[in-house]
Amino acid sequence: MLKAARNIIDDIGGCVLFIKDVLRTAVRSPCSLESLCDQIWRVTLQSLPTTGMAGFFVGAIMTVQFTMQIKAFGALGYLGGLSTSATVREIGPLLIAFLLSGKVGAFTSAELGTMRVTEQIDAIRCLGANPLQEIILPRYIGIVISSFFLLAAGLMMSIFGGMLLAAFFAGINPDEYLRHIPTIVSPFSIGTGLFKCLVFALVLASVCTYKGYTTTGGAKGVGRSVVSTAVMTMVGIVVTDWITSLISEAALDMFGGGAL
Amino acid sequence: MIAFESVRKSFGEREVLKGITFQVPPGQILFILGTSGTGKSVLLKNIVGLLHPTSGRIWVDGDDVSQMPEEEMFPIRRKCGMVFQHPALFDSLTVFDNVAFGLRKHYPEYSQEQIAARVRECLSLVHLRPGVETKKPQEISYGMQKRVSLARTVAVSPKILLFDEPTTGLDPVTTNAINHLILELSRKLKTTSLVVSHDMQCALDIADHIIVLDKGEIVDQGSPAQLKQSRHPLVRDFLREALDAEGS
Repeated sequence: MLKAARNIIDDIGGCVLFIKDVLRTAVRSPCSLESLCDQIWRVTLQSLPTTGMAGFFVGAIMTVQFTMQIKAFGALGYLGGLSTSATVREIGPLLIAFLLSGKVGAFTSAELGTMRVTEQIDAIRCLGANPLQEIILPRYIGIVISSFFLLAAGLMMSIFGGMLLAAFFAGINPDEYLRHIPTIVSPFSIGTGLFKCLVFALVLASVCTYKGYTTTGGAKGVGRSVVSTAVMTMVGIVVTDWITSLISEAALDMFGGGAL
Repeated sequence: MIAFESVRKSFGEREVLKGITFQVPPGQILFILGTSGTGKSVLLKNIVGLLHPTSGRIWVDGDDVSQMPEEEMFPIRRKCGMVFQHPALFDSLTVFDNVAFGLRKHYPEYSQEQIAARVRECLSLVHLRPGVETKKPQEISYGMQKRVSLARTVAVSPKILLFDEPTTGLDPVTTNAINHLILELSRKLKTTSLVVSHDMQCALDIADHIIVLDKGEIVDQGSPAQLKQSRHPLVRDFLREALDAEGS
C-alpha cells in the first residue's frame, strides 16, 4: 500500500518534471513545423472515424435517456437543449477523452516505449540530437492540437446523433430539436466543454509521452507502460474533470448569468 | 585516447562497475569480453554520457566526461560514434535518411549533394549495394540493418568507434562479415575502437588488446597472445569455447 502510494507520487512528480523539460525545449529549441504537421495529420486521421462514431452515439444515448425522463412532464420540446447541454458540458468530453486515451495514448506510449527499449532514443542522443526536440515535442504538441480538434468534432457529432435519434425515437422534428438548444445551452456552456477538451488533451499528451519516454525493461516494459498510460490517463481525466467543473462553477458565480 | 580511472557505477543497491581502470591508446582496437550482465554495455554508455559513473573519472581525448552535462556532450558525441546492440534504426525514416541523420545534425553547413554523396560513400563502405537507400529498415534483413547502423555511425567521421555487441543475433556468416568490417573500418578510418563482446574467437583475430570483465571487475587483460596463456578460469572457459567453435 505504502509502495503503491510512493509509486503514484513518483509518477506525478516525474511527469511534472518531464513537462517542464518539454516546455523548456519548446522555448529553447522548437521542433520542425514539418514533423509537427505530420504528427497532427497522423493522429487526426487515425482517430477521426472512431471519435466521430463515439460522439454520435454519446449524443444518441443522452437523447434516449432524456426522452424517457421528460416525456412524463410534456416537455419534449426542450429535449434538444437538455441533451446537448449534458453532452457538451460533461459526458461528451469525458467519454470521448476515454476513447482517445485508449487509442492515441496507448499507441504513442507503445511507439515511444519501443523506441526506448530498442535504443533508438539513445541513438538520437549519440547522433548529436535532442530526443525531446526530435520525437517528444512534435508528438506532445501534435496530440494536444489533434485531441482538442477530435474532441470538438466528437461533440459536434454528438449533437447530430442526438438530433437524429430524437427524430426517430421521440418523433421530434430536427428544426424543433435545434431551435431549443440556444435556450438552454449558453456560450458559457460551450466554453466549459471546450475548456475541458483542452485540459483532457493536455493530460493525454503529458501522460502518454512521459510513460513512453521513460519505459524500461524490454517488451514487458512496453506492455507495462501501455497499461499504466491507460490507467493514469483515465484517472487524470476524471480528476481534472472534477477540477475543471469546480473552476467553471466558480467562473459562473463570478461573472453571473443564468446559463446551465 | 580513452582513459578510465577507478570508475564505479551503481544502480540503486547494485554495483555494476567496481573500480575500473584502463587506457586505450589512439588507433588501437580494444575488446572488452565478459559474460552477460557483467557491466560491459554500461561501461560503454558511460563514455558517451548516456550514463554517468557514480564515482571515478573517464577521459576522452583529455576531456573529463564523467559528470559532463548533456548540453556539453555534443562535441564528445561528434568524436565518438556508437553502434548499439540493436540496429536502433529509425523506423519512420528510409535507410538514406537514417544515415544522413547524424550528418544533418553535426554538419548543418553540408548541401544536399554533399550529404547524398557521403551517404552513398558510407553505404558502400559497409558493402551495401545501391538501391537500398530508398528502403525502410523493416524492409531489409537484420544483418543489413546492422550494416546500415554501422554506416550511420561512421558517416559523421568519428575518431572513436564504440561497438556494443555488434554481432548479437546474427548468423555465423554475417557475424564473420561484421567482424571483418569492424577491422576494415578501424584500419581504413584510423579510429580507436572499443568492442564489447563475448566472442573470444573474434577478439583473438582482430583485437590489439583484450580486457576480460567479470562481475564488474577486470579479471585479466593483455594482447591476444598474452590472453592465450592466461590461467584465469573465466578466460580459460572463453578460450575453450573459441577453440570448440573453431574446431566445429
